[in-house]
Amino acid sequence: MDEPRVARLVQAALRCYPARWQRRHGDEAAELATLLIRDGTPAGSVALSYLAGAAREWLTPRPVRQPVRRPRRRPGRRLSAAACALLAAACSLGVSAGLLASAGPARAASPSPARPPAPCQPAPCQPAQCQPAQCQAAQCQPGSAEPVPAVGRPQVIIRVAGHGRSC
Amino acid sequence: MAVGRRDGKAGPDVLRRAGEASVLVLISLAGGPRHGYALIQDIKELAGVELGPGTLYGALDRLERLGLIEPLPAEDRRHPYRITAPGAAALRVHLDEVERVSAAGRLRLQLGGI
Repeated sequence: MDEPRVARLVQAALRCYPARWQRRHGDEAAELATLLIRDGTPAGSVALSYLAGAAREWLTPRPVRQPVRRPRRRPGRRLSAAACALLAAACSLGVSAGLLASAGPARAASPSPARPPAPCQPAPCQPAQCQPAQCQAAQCQPGSAEPVPAVGRPQVIIRVAGHGRSC
Repeated sequence: MAVGRRDGKAGPDVLRRAGEASVLVLISLAGGPRHGYALIQDIKELAGVELGPGTLYGALDRLERLGLIEPLPAEDRRHPYRITAPGAAALRVHLDEVERVSAAGRLRLQLGGI
């Protein structure tokens, strides 16, 4: 990995820490990362370590030194901040759909997205194959591309997920 | 928070729940003041454990909060730390405890003929 990209990666991970931590350790942490990467530690490993540290830092409760009258923070704020930090870091690390899509076995196992959905070719309506709820909701007509809603009944059409077929 | 006594006598083992990284950092600092990079290198030589930088800073913050280590004036961008008297006492207590458990384990292995 080229140096500017490594630096950006580590900087992104360091930005996930609270401001207080960044003020105190930020410069030293960046220098430490540079030294470790120069020694042969993988840049991703260094960045991940900082990310995990940032999450811990956000989630570790701090002792309150003096009672200050401030509007109370919502309890979920730390958690959401940590989640945001992890999400931002994951994006900057490139853990994205692009990486996932390049995984061969995963692609082989998943249905091809390029294939168009099969046209709705309803088989002759066989009540035995239909779920009762589906048969009540829609009636199949041979030759019709779509199920015909039953007259006078609630119009609920249940499709089998992802195939574009209906009962 | 109450930590090891300043007189060096045995007290509660505050390092029991501090985590392995904290104990390793404290052992390393027992050899003299060090900054982050030197700590990582020393722990690697000492215990064969490669601490991640995030883990290291977490341990340093935790130990400092407990009063077991203290920062020294910065050298350039590096912040060295040194072990405090309560830190040394706490480390002594913890190592005694580890030794006691270790001896008990060895004895049981011996008695069990394993």
